[in-house]
Order: sequence, then structure tokens, then C-alpha cells
Amino acid sequence: MTYNKPPIQSPKTTRREFLQSVGITFAVGSTGIVGACSLDSSSEPNEPLPSSSNNTISANAWVTISADDSIKIMYAGTEMGQGSMTTLPLVLAEELDADWENVNVDIVSVHDPVYGNPIRYTYYGFPILYTAGSRTLEAYYPVMRQAGAQARKFLLDTAAAEWGVPVAELKTELSQVSHTASGRTLTYGQIIGLAELPDNLPLVDENEYKSQEDYRYLGKDITRVDVPGKSDGSAEFGIDAQVPGMVYASVLRAPVEGEEPLDINDVKTREIDGVIDVISLPHGVAVVGESVEAAFWGKSALEVIWTTNSPFRNVNQSETLDTYETYARDLTFSTDSPLWQNVGDIEPAFNAANNVVEAMYRADPAYHAQMEPMNATASVSDDGKSAEIWVSTQTQSLTVMAAADTLETSIDKITLHPMLIGGGYGRRGEYQAKYVDEALLVSRAIGKPVKVIWTREEDVKDGVFRPLSAQLMRAAINSDGKITALQQRVATPSVLSYYNVPRWNLAEGRDGISMNGAQTTRYDIANIRSEHLIMDRGSRVAAWRGVGSSYTRFANESFIDELAHHQGADPLQFRIDLAHNDPDGRNVLEEVGLMADWSRKREGSALGVALSDYGGFSVAAGIAEVSVNEQTGEIQVLNYWMVIDAGFLVAPRNVNAQMEGNVTMGLSNALKERITISDGIVDQSNFYDYPIMRMDEMPDIHVKAIINNKSPSGVGELGLATTGASVANAVFAATGARVRELPLTPDRVLAALRG
Amino acid sequence: MASFTINSESIEVDANPNTPLLWVVREHLKLTGTKFGCGVGLCGACTVHVDGNSTFACMTPVSAVEGKEVTTIEAQSNPAQNALKEAWVAEAVPQCGYCQSGQIMRAATLLENNPKPSREDIVNHMRTNICRCGTYNRIIKAIERAAEEV
Repeated sequence: MTYNKPPIQSPKTTRREFLQSVGITFAVGSTGIVGACSLDSSSEPNEPLPSSSNNTISANAWVTISADDSIKIMYAGTEMGQGSMTTLPLVLAEELDADWENVNVDIVSVHDPVYGNPIRYTYYGFPILYTAGSRTLEAYYPVMRQAGAQARKFLLDTAAAEWGVPVAELKTELSQVSHTASGRTLTYGQIIGLAELPDNLPLVDENEYKSQEDYRYLGKDITRVDVPGKSDGSAEFGIDAQVPGMVYASVLRAPVEGEEPLDINDVKTREIDGVIDVISLPHGVAVVGESVEAAFWGKSALEVIWTTNSPFRNVNQSETLDTYETYARDLTFSTDSPLWQNVGDIEPAFNAANNVVEAMYRADPAYHAQMEPMNATASVSDDGKSAEIWVSTQTQSLTVMAAADTLETSIDKITLHPMLIGGGYGRRGEYQAKYVDEALLVSRAIGKPVKVIWTREEDVKDGVFRPLSAQLMRAAINSDGKITALQQRVATPSVLSYYNVPRWNLAEGRDGISMNGAQTTRYDIANIRSEHLIMDRGSRVAAWRGVGSSYTRFANESFIDELAHHQGADPLQFRIDLAHNDPDGRNVLEEVGLMADWSRKREGSALGVALSDYGGFSVAAGIAEVSVNEQTGEIQVLNYWMVIDAGFLVAPRNVNAQMEGNVTMGLSNALKERITISDGIVDQSNFYDYPIMRMDEMPDIHVKAIINNKSPSGVGELGLATTGASVANAVFAATGARVRELPLTPDRVLAALRG
Repeated sequence: MASFTINSESIEVDANPNTPLLWVVREHLKLTGTKFGCGVGLCGACTVHVDGNSTFACMTPVSAVEGKEVTTIEAQSNPAQNALKEAWVAEAVPQCGYCQSGQIMRAATLLENNPKPSREDIVNHMRTNICRCGTYNRIIKAIERAAEEV
């Protein structure tokens, strides 16, 4: 089994040619299964075309079986290390009873609603290809199963007709149909040579799906299709694109957002050997070189005077955060956003409270620090209205749509080559990707294919960050010591209104990125209110792994600990008691407590716990064991235990890998990662002043998944949100000092120790 | 013009002597397995071997490898490197995978000098290389596995 690398150079492919190249295409693979994929007249039609030969059929949009028994399965996500490029095709192959050794995975590179993520329907009016929020497996799982089952049923029916035997006497295994009574077999490739193809395949009832005990691939540990190439250097990421005739560009960007070049002195730049041209862009100046080094050196030699009139010049982070805090504390203040969560009515509960507990939590912006710096390669046609793009992106659809906007053309004029992603974490999911625009604009200006590569310093300075936030947590406690109301006031910018304007325009003021995780669903509290106070942004903002939950759940799960302390209760038991109506939440808490041997007192270290529900129905509980150096304020995390419930585990070893990744990235962020902004300029620039966790700082990580047969749900970000609060709670358990600001840097720990 | 050996092949490259070896390898020679990460020797994504020593290609001008032997992830005949590549697959180390060429190249010089490294040896040697996806614990396992094989 292999996957097809995106072609480095290919002829322009129109949609019609694309369909013809895969033969007859039935749209039923997704239509109607989840109720979100049906096409309307405003979408591109998915017309069935005559088959060009009998040797290749596409039993639906997702699978193509060839006469040589090779099977091609389409993958509509993007692979950034989370594994869905393997798991989704594997789900289809399992239901099809295909021989995985002969399966080829093909990445969908077109913006086609047939392949859109079903749950991304409501955001855009039609389903788009967008890999984010850990919703790929969850959303496509029913689609892949149905597609595989349909194809298998078609093959069985065809073989039964050929042999004149009842279908019930046939079985399938490893890409062949056999009739045990007569000893006859036909391979899938042989069968498609016999078939009179229907225009549509009927839906297969779920009762006819393969039963789990017969699974050959799912629940086992099949090698991910991308792993071999990532272990020998042959995997091709965006930055690896090589296009004949390509030149390079490096862009000097305005130091402050919103400013422009006023005067460009490029005399020294043009003297550098290999520099081809200097091109002014709206937000910067591009130097084009025959080589990448010429472009970089040319950029360094530029002298540019910038405008200085941007309001972002006035942004100083500590002041911005103080402003957010003031708004969060002012209970009379609200913005246009509808309540994020509203259960019961908190007002009477607060009015009647015996005690009101309050705490303020703050979090600095975070940088993605994806290992592959932003880059894109583009080749724009002479008329400026068509382009090919090679890029690592989390969304085929938005990349094509935004590129069409930039060139003022239609999306069918954009050919995308989606490349493997050297770290996504939300960084490559924005609508208008500046790096793609730069490649397009420079290519159009000079009439050649161009590769734009950002340096690490540019990647930091021009980063799009997890936003700054100040959150007020409040609880009402009655005379029996019961929590009667919980309030979470999140003062933070809207991420969507910057990062993904088309989705924001349909969001009715609810920002699912900024507010992700700011809800309390597992605990039995009668009155809950969570609200978004939409602040002016002081930086560019983006989704960051865990979406909003790395800060929202730092606040609400630190606060739960403070409430436990207030009540004199054990923090784990307090949560288990609060989750008495939620078996899944209670279960992961109890299990992680057993795993960590919670009640055992440690010498020189202490434990902290946090619970995270993450979208869908995945839930995780994490326990950190930390030791704190009370002289230096340094926190060392010794062990991390995580128990998750993500339904049926399609790829158990990969689930473990994702959890290790979530713990590592979460702890790195919680302990040391901090972006600051002074006079509108990002202060950090590389890994020396934005350090991320290295191997010698790693705790032992222990992961356990609850085994059950619920439908699988996402794990790509699950559990990350437990890290900040669990570590802060462990620091409190170890020292009695409560740190309420992310990251939990030594200076903040020392300040908390001093009280 | 710089002359050196790359993956056992003698070559001449027409590049400014100050050009970082990284860009010569990636964009002049099209050996793209070696990655650009930080440009200042802080992340290890660009790790190659120069005369058998782990070297940050981003910090090494091509003039500095004149007459030397450069080895990249694409090399086929290095036993430690081959054992590591297999161990990387067996332990399913890579996630996004971008840093892994550098990790393997870094690990290869450990095994060549210390065929049976302790866990502490591994951690001390590998701390130069960053992995954002968090595959560190699997890297350790894969190096231990490869050490058994070499």
C-alpha cells in the first residue's frame, strides 16, 4: 500500500478532466449519509459521465478498483502527522474487505463539495475540505464506511449474478469474492470487468456493515502510509516543491501590521549577484533571486522606510492585557456576542449565594512554532488569471478560494498541489494565507514560477498567534457548600473575524475558535453562564492546537481546583462528585486517579488534575506530577498520566502518539512559551527567545484509553487542554502558591510563592 | 565553485562560497530530505554529516566543506543510518515528520561513536534537535531499537 505523492508538475486539470480520469463517479458515497453533502444547483454539478473503459470503475466518489486489482481510495483531509491520511482510507478498505497491500491513497486536491467535510457545511453553506478541530475522523467515518460497504455490495451482487448463486452464499476477503460450495473465486479486479454499471448505488443499511470482531485493519496497528517516507527523507513537504524554471523570493515585511513601504532603496540589493528583481507588495518588499540565498541576501540589503500610521503601533501587550482584565472584571460590560453557554439563570443564584468565589486568569499569546516555516510555490499564467500552487495547507478549499480572490479569477482556474504539512496546529488553516498571496503576486509580476520561503525570524515576527486573554471565573456557593452557579467571562479577541472572515460572516457572533473549551458540560452545576467579551486584537490571531481550550480550560479547571480548596475537598474526588451525572467524565477521572496512584503522597513532588471535554464526545483527564524549585521558581514535570475516552480506537498506537504529542506541546506551552508585543512589534524572533520543549525536559507520559464501541472521535488535540491547569494545580499542591497566568514561568511562580 | 563528496559522489557546485550548505544541498542539488528549520543552529532540522560529524548545514558555508565528505538522509550505505530508518518505521516515530531527517542524522553519529548508548546518553546527544509534534519518547525507543540491530 502506498500513497500518491502530489505531482510536482502536472498539466492543468479541469474538473471535467478530473472526473473522466477516474471513470464513472457516483456521488452517493457521501450524499444523504450524514445529511449534509447533497449538492444544490449553486454548487458544481457532479454529473455522471460515460465510462471510458470497463477496466476502471469508481463505485462512488471515493474508491476506484482497477482490473489489475489495485484499489485507489480518495483522502479528503490533509496529513499533518495526525494520521487521518491512513485511518480514513483504512475505514473504507475495511468495509470493502480490500487487500490493503494493493491500496493506493490519493489526496483530493480540488475544492469539490462531494469531498467536503460534512460538519463543515453549516459554516460555509456547503461542505468544504478543511482539516481542523480534530473533526476529520469523526465526520468522515460514516462516509467511509458507507462508501466501502456500497462498493462491496456491488461486487457481491455482480459475482452472484455471474455465478447464478444467492449472494448469501458468497463471502469476501482480501479483494476477492468466493463461493465456498463450488470453490469459485473472482478478484475484485475481475468482477469490475463483468459489471453493467448503475448510475447510482443504493445506500447500504448499517446492519449490513462488517462486525467489529471481523476487522482485519481497524483497531490494529497498521503502518501509516506517510511514515516510511518521513523516515528516509523522501516525504515531500511544501518547502520541497521543485518546479522547472522556478526562482525564489524573500519578502521584507512591514514591522507593524497595517503599514506599507513608503520609500524603497534597493541599490545594494540589485548589486548582489543572482538578484533578479525587487517588487513592492502591499505589505512589504519582495526580492526575487535565481537562488534562495540571493533572495535572502538581497532582502537583507534592502533599505525601506515604512509608514508609521498604523493603530497597531500603539499596542503594548501588558497594557492590552490589563484592559482586557478591566472589561472581564466589570460585570456590567458585554459585547455583541451571544452567550456561549447559558444553563439555568446565574443571577438569582449569585444573589442568594452564601459565598462568591472569584479568580482572574490571564494567558499570553502563543506561537505555533511549526517546524516547517511558512512557504508557498506558485506559477501564475501570462494573463494573470490562472495559477498552480504547491503548498502545505490544512484546507484545500479555502486555499483555492482565497487564491481565486487574490487573482480576481474563478476557482476552476486554480490548480492546487497539496503537499505534506511540516506542522499544522492551526497555522495553515487561515483563509487568506499571506505566504500564498506573496507567491502568487510575485509570480504574476515576474512571469515565472516562484518559491517564497519565510525565515524563522519572519515566521515568528509575522506569526498569527493564539490570542491574549483575561478570564474572570466566578462561582456562587450556597449555605450547604454547594456550587449553585458558575460564570466564565472570557475577554479575548474574535479569532474568526481575522482568521476566517467567510466563516465569521455566518457565525452569528459566536466565535467557536476563541471560545472553544469555555463551557462546563461534565459537572452537575445548575446555573452556568459563559460569555465572550470580544476585545480589539493586538496581534494577528489564529487557531492554535487545542483551539481555544489551552487557555479557556486553564481557567475553568484551575478554578475548579480553587473551589475544591475552598470547600476543603480533595481536587480529584471533588471533580468525580461533580461529574456524578456524566459517566464518561467520571470514568476518565477515576481511571487517571488509579493510574497515577493519586492518594499516595510523594516526597518532593505533588500531583494536579484537570478534565477536558473536547468538542464531539471525546473526553480526557490528565494528572501532572511536578516538583518546584522554590528558590528559582522552576517547575519540572516528572510524570504525566492521561486517560481518554474517544470511542472506538481505529488506530490505537496512533492514538497514543497523538496523546504524547498533545501532552508535550501542552506542557511546552504551559511552562515556557510566551509571545510579547511592544509598540506593535513582536519581541521574539527564533527558538532562543521562544524556546520549546526539548528531549531532556520531557516527563514520562503514560496514556490509557477507555475501551468501548462508541463511534470514533478525534484525538489530535484531545488532552492538550488538561496540561496548563493540571500543572498549575500540581504547583499549588506542592507549594500552596496559585499561579493564574500562562505560561507558568519561573518569575510568575516566584511571585505567587511570595504571595 | 566548491568541490566535495556528497553521499559518496564527488561533485562540483557553482555557488557563492558563503552559501549555507543547507541551500546547496536542498535547492542546488535538490536533495530535499535535509530541512530548513531555524537557520541558526537551534533546531537541528538541517543536520547532515561532514566527515562523519553531525553538523548544522544552515550554519556551514559551502566553502567549509571543500574536499570533505558530506552525508545526508538520502545516503543508502550507512549501516547506522539504515538501522535507524527501519527503527523509525517500526516505532512509528514520525508525526508531521519534518524534523525527522535531522533527528535520524543526529542519532546516527551517536550510534557510530557509542553503539550501546544509555537513555541518558541518548537524551544528552539528542537535545540539540527539536520536535514540535512531541515524538521525543518514541525517538528514544527507536534509537534503542536501532542500537540492538547495529
